Amino acid sequence: MDIKKGQGRFIFFCLAPAVILFIVFLIIPTIDVFRMSTYKWGGYTDDKTFVGLQNFTKLFHSDKFYQSFQNSLLLIIVVTIVTFAFALVFASMLSREKLKGQDLLRIIFYIPNILSVVVISAIFSAIYDPNSGLLNAFLNLFRGATSDSTLWLGDQKIVIFSLAGAMIWQAIGYYMVMYMASMANIPESLYESAELEGAGRMHQFFTITIPLIWTNIRTTLTFFVISTINMSFLFVVAMTGGGPDGATEVFLSYMYKEAYTNSSYGYGMAIGVIVFLFSFALAAILNAVTKREHLEY
Amino acid sequence: MKKILGLALTASLSLSLAACSGNTNNSSSPAPSDTTTPVATTETPETPETRTLKLAALETAYGADVWKEIIAGFEKANPGVKVESTIDKSIEDVIGPAMKSGDFPDVIHLAVGQPKGLTETFVKDNNLTDLTDVLSMTIPGESGTVKDKIIPGFTDTTITNPYGDGKTYLMPMFYSPTGLFYNAGLLEQKGWTVPTTWDEMWALGDKAKADGIALFSYPTTGYFDSFFYALLNEVGGPEFFTKAMHYTEGVWQSPEATQAFDIINKLAAYTEKTVPANGNKDNFTKNQQLILDNKAIFMPNGTWVVGEMSKAPRAEGFKWGFTALPAVKEGGDRFSYTFFEQIWVPAKAKNADLAKQFIAYLYSDEAAGVFAKVGAVQPIKDMASKLEGDNKLFYSIYDNGAKAAMGAFSTTDPVEGVSISDTVFGTVDSLVTKAKTQAQWVEAITKASDALRGALK
Repeated sequence: MDIKKGQGRFIFFCLAPAVILFIVFLIIPTIDVFRMSTYKWGGYTDDKTFVGLQNFTKLFHSDKFYQSFQNSLLLIIVVTIVTFAFALVFASMLSREKLKGQDLLRIIFYIPNILSVVVISAIFSAIYDPNSGLLNAFLNLFRGATSDSTLWLGDQKIVIFSLAGAMIWQAIGYYMVMYMASMANIPESLYESAELEGAGRMHQFFTITIPLIWTNIRTTLTFFVISTINMSFLFVVAMTGGGPDGATEVFLSYMYKEAYTNSSYGYGMAIGVIVFLFSFALAAILNAVTKREHLEY
Repeated sequence: MKKILGLALTASLSLSLAACSGNTNNSSSPAPSDTTTPVATTETPETPETRTLKLAALETAYGADVWKEIIAGFEKANPGVKVESTIDKSIEDVIGPAMKSGDFPDVIHLAVGQPKGLTETFVKDNNLTDLTDVLSMTIPGESGTVKDKIIPGFTDTTITNPYGDGKTYLMPMFYSPTGLFYNAGLLEQKGWTVPTTWDEMWALGDKAKADGIALFSYPTTGYFDSFFYALLNEVGGPEFFTKAMHYTEGVWQSPEATQAFDIINKLAAYTEKTVPANGNKDNFTKNQQLILDNKAIFMPNGTWVVGEMSKAPRAEGFKWGFTALPAVKEGGDRFSYTFFEQIWVPAKAKNADLAKQFIAYLYSDEAAGVFAKVGAVQPIKDMASKLEGDNKLFYSIYDNGAKAAMGAFSTTDPVEGVSISDTVFGTVDSLVTKAKTQAQWVEAITKASDALRGALK
């Protein structure tokens, strides 16, 4: 009995530091965001007034907030679907097929992930340049050099997709490596027997590979949501500044503009609260709808 | 043995925790709660003879060294005073955390219009020290007062007197005339003259179009502030400008405002069409490059553009030209907006009186000379005549018939989700790409203006 008590105390003391750190650095700041969202506050000094839920009421009446919400949502959907599809296909090709220079390809795919967002933005600004950019020059081969150049970062209808393009390029390598890691665990014998029974490559991919890396896929879906929200802010700041005329404003860039430039820190925190709840809810929904019976092998 | 190991582990973990939590109280908590105890100051107690002035300044293109020279001069003239300076390119991030816990610099040199809006926040929160008495202070080592030396008008603007009560809270520092920059060489070569009215401007635009040159470019829509303010002065005079800056009801539907909107909308049609694509922090120099490459004729800008583009390639025979905005009618007034930086004292500064002395010193011939060496020109009488080179041409714009426009949209309490500058200037991109119409633009401005009117200081 005494040993058990001692053990319990030991575990308690071992866990305590981590739990306390967790509370201090994660729980308290999160609660603080919620608390600050109920104040009218400039953010730089200690003068603040409690305004209850007013910041939220204003938020729900703001067109600009809905615009940034829409843009964020669009990015989450587009970036997730496209990156997911490419990463999965590339991972499967690199781990299942025998290609020349496989290792080199793997490194090349991963490189965008170690580049800084600012560098990627500079690369894509050059690619998207209306006059000397790679993309327009390439398209001009087909449509003739005399036609009007497309303004990849200037046309409000296109710009958000241009941004998504850069984000996808940056993310593919990372997710590809993650999928490859779990594909490597699938026993070769499953593929061999499938082949003996006459299943083609596509069939194998959908009936063996995907079901067996499903747990990994579910985890990455949550990553997609969180990282798209975060990365979109960095890309927007480095590439478009939210322009032209707010066309690429996303959650966090709008929050930053309000909290700092517009001296409305409390309102900015209210946006933060919404982002927090939204990403949690979305991740939960994704988790729920992708729930499958765990397959063992 | 197990027990000892366990104890040792626990002890080391607790120690590391203690070390970490010690830090959190001091600085890294994202925001101070009301209950946190103020940070203990680590300053050594000051003897009455030595006083410390804390200066915070944004490091701009003029560099940080110039401030060191100024500080040395001030310390020399005021024995027993020590100036502690923080000069940084992102000064807001450096001084922000300390200010949240109540530790303020005594004097801050940071203009309005920065992305982090620190100065605006202080103005909106009524957190500034009244500096009106600085105007009547005698400049150290000279006989005149500060007011005598500053060019008239600079301390009567909506920026320096944000509450409209006749009191000056922000003192004007380095100024720069703004207007339209162009390649004088190109105009000479083509035999075109610089338009003096907007009608001439449009005529030139059509001529240039035939030669494949666009009439207009702008670095980012943010540069429309000076353009718009000057234009409002042209269409309706200073009185109308003041009305507009105070969000007076119906002002945006007046014939004067409509004329200004018409001009900008028409100008949008004459704008080089790739401009919105590059109108951001990363690529705005490409829009400026259009002028140097003879692909566009005019752009709104300030005198700093010459330095900014000094290393850029340029067309043969390129020569900077600078003009005020064309007049709306023959013989009408032409305006050039004056951009200036500000220096101010937080309300909670501990050494406000010393800060005022420091500000007064900044207007001395000695200090002005130091600033002028790096091209930072203060609004001091006769300062412009001492300049050389390109700057001489730029700063003489007001001697050549252009009137000076100053001020900006009036300060309001923060109105969440409403930004007048985004609405008025940011939309220009949409006018160029035709994503929005002039009517939609005016409607949005009216809506924002209505929202801000009630929050006026």
